[in-house]
Amino acid sequence: MVASIIKVKDLTKNYDETKAVRGISFTVKKGEVFSMVGPNGAGKTTTVEICEGIRKPTSGIIRLFGKEFSKRSKEIRERIGVLPQEYRSFERLTVKETLKYYSSFYKRKRNIDEIISLLDLEDKKDDLYMNLSGGLKQRVGVGMALVNDPELVFLDEPTTGLDPRARRGVWNAIMSLKEEGKTIFLTTHYMEEAEYLADRVAIVHKGRIVGQGSLRELISDHGGHYNVVMHGYDTSRIDILGEEASVDSEQNVSLPVNDPEEISQILSKVMQNGVKFESIEVRRANLEEVFMNLTGTTIEEGDAA
Amino acid sequence: MRPIAIINDFLANLRMWYRSKGTVFWAIAFPILLMLIFGAIYQGQSDVTVSLYVQDLDGSEISEEFISSLSEQLNIENIPADVDGDEYISENNIRAALIIPEDFGNTIYRVQQGSNENISLSLSLDPTRESVNGIIRGVVGGTLHGWNNEITGSRDVLTFQEKSLTAEEFKFIDYFMPGVIGLTVMTSTIYGTIFRNTKYRKWGILRKLSTTPFTRWEYLISKMLFMTFVSFVSTFLIILVGVLVWDISVTIDIYLFIIVISAAFAFSGMGMIISRFVKEEETADSAAGAITFPQMFLAGTFFPLEVMPSYLSSIARVLPLYYVNEGLRDSMIYQDSSGALFNTAVIFSIAAVLFVIGALVTKWTE
Repeated sequence: MVASIIKVKDLTKNYDETKAVRGISFTVKKGEVFSMVGPNGAGKTTTVEICEGIRKPTSGIIRLFGKEFSKRSKEIRERIGVLPQEYRSFERLTVKETLKYYSSFYKRKRNIDEIISLLDLEDKKDDLYMNLSGGLKQRVGVGMALVNDPELVFLDEPTTGLDPRARRGVWNAIMSLKEEGKTIFLTTHYMEEAEYLADRVAIVHKGRIVGQGSLRELISDHGGHYNVVMHGYDTSRIDILGEEASVDSEQNVSLPVNDPEEISQILSKVMQNGVKFESIEVRRANLEEVFMNLTGTTIEEGDAA
Repeated sequence: MRPIAIINDFLANLRMWYRSKGTVFWAIAFPILLMLIFGAIYQGQSDVTVSLYVQDLDGSEISEEFISSLSEQLNIENIPADVDGDEYISENNIRAALIIPEDFGNTIYRVQQGSNENISLSLSLDPTRESVNGIIRGVVGGTLHGWNNEITGSRDVLTFQEKSLTAEEFKFIDYFMPGVIGLTVMTSTIYGTIFRNTKYRKWGILRKLSTTPFTRWEYLISKMLFMTFVSFVSTFLIILVGVLVWDISVTIDIYLFIIVISAAFAFSGMGMIISRFVKEEETADSAAGAITFPQMFLAGTFFPLEVMPSYLSSIARVLPLYYVNEGLRDSMIYQDSSGALFNTAVIFSIAAVLFVIGALVTKWTE
């Protein structure tokens, strides 16, 4: 049986009248990437910061490595690495100096050059933090969380605000940690990030976990269907596909189907009506749809709320 | 040219300007503060009470009448006639004194009868208090001038001889330099602490540190060591310039070290307390300005408290910088060990209280 690194039971957190977390329970197993996904304000950061010891819970049980944080805080801090949300480091220290600075606090240390190499920061190691791009800054942030060679790494929204290329760079860094067998607790409001990186996902909405499990389990339990997407389809002829067909922002026509066998029927209907299209794609339901089915809203709408 | 574009750009600038608390402070609050403080200093100058010690060696009715004329504009304190004037001045740390010679009244009488004699009064002043000295010289000189007119109508029978109260010849810069040290320690520590705490909190550095084995007290001690180091670097650079460029004679003793360390702790504590309430980086500048500028002008950095209206000088006495400035002057310039000891004890106590409160309110976590 795989040991639980984090065990949280019935966690609640109130800020005056606001109930930020309303009875959350989950476990994070050794060596897995566990991702908490949800819109801004769902309670992800509050939960992760309680696990990191930054905030105190209103009620609930939180155990890291089988121990309560409040009783073994010093020992636990030696074993964890943290990248806080919206973190910015010391502007006038270089990458290497920053990593050395944080490394100096720990008894156990990982070789700094090894971390620099792991995160592909060799060319930037002598650059001042203030001169780095957003993606590189986040990679340095991940590096800071590794200086003590931690058993458990917390990454709180590590790619928020980054462009797709920079985000990919941070993902590669996280994949390297995953390959090393680190246990990672990742929060994000990007569904594709959780899909790409996580072994197990907890979907958080309004302070509660509304679904959790592996990606496959979540999609099979709550995703429900496939999506047929036709590129270059004449949108004025969408009526022949039925009421469920819709046009997305890129003018692609999308149609949900429950059974892959329906796809051939759709294609013959389109051909019989002489409608042309450039290409067709069949997509398996993703986390976005799981989230929608579980909460009745998209993650963007959840952000706005 | 499109006037609408210019107007829109102007309005956007105006919007950004008033939303930036720092620029509003420098453009509006700071000049208003200056006007209020300096206005109060100069406007209220007629209410200023400047003290002059007078030793009346004559003890005649005429000398008493002369002292009475001086008392209309100065606060007159008495030096007993039967003591050695110079010794009394030195022992009591008196910084302005007038000695009326024996036979003052009789000589005036004889001059009125046609004698050709002159009378010289001795006016001892502390050269480091030049702005106060100007007032005293003006009052004494003006009173003598009035009396001369009455006695002879033309000739200057009564004159005063000015002498320096200190063995060495001090200049205004001697007074000014300790003030610059106090001011520098205050601004660098308050600005440094408020900016650092506000930025580190906003950037997540404090949250990050709280997840490491580095403790809050280790952090505070390290920051205090740094602020103290910076304070000493500034202090010794200022002293170096003072000695090399202005030929200032400086005494470096244990009080200097205790005062600079205490000042660094007191002002850092003050900065920590203020930064507890400053949420945004943009507000840090105005918050630091609001706490440093009143002290800068009211705590005797640039001019002695005696030139201020009494209500302003009372305010100065509750400001930590006043005790830093006075203590440094007593220790470095006047070599007044009792004054230095008193001011050091006061700033040390203030530092202990402010630092403990500051450390307690500086939280990393909720």
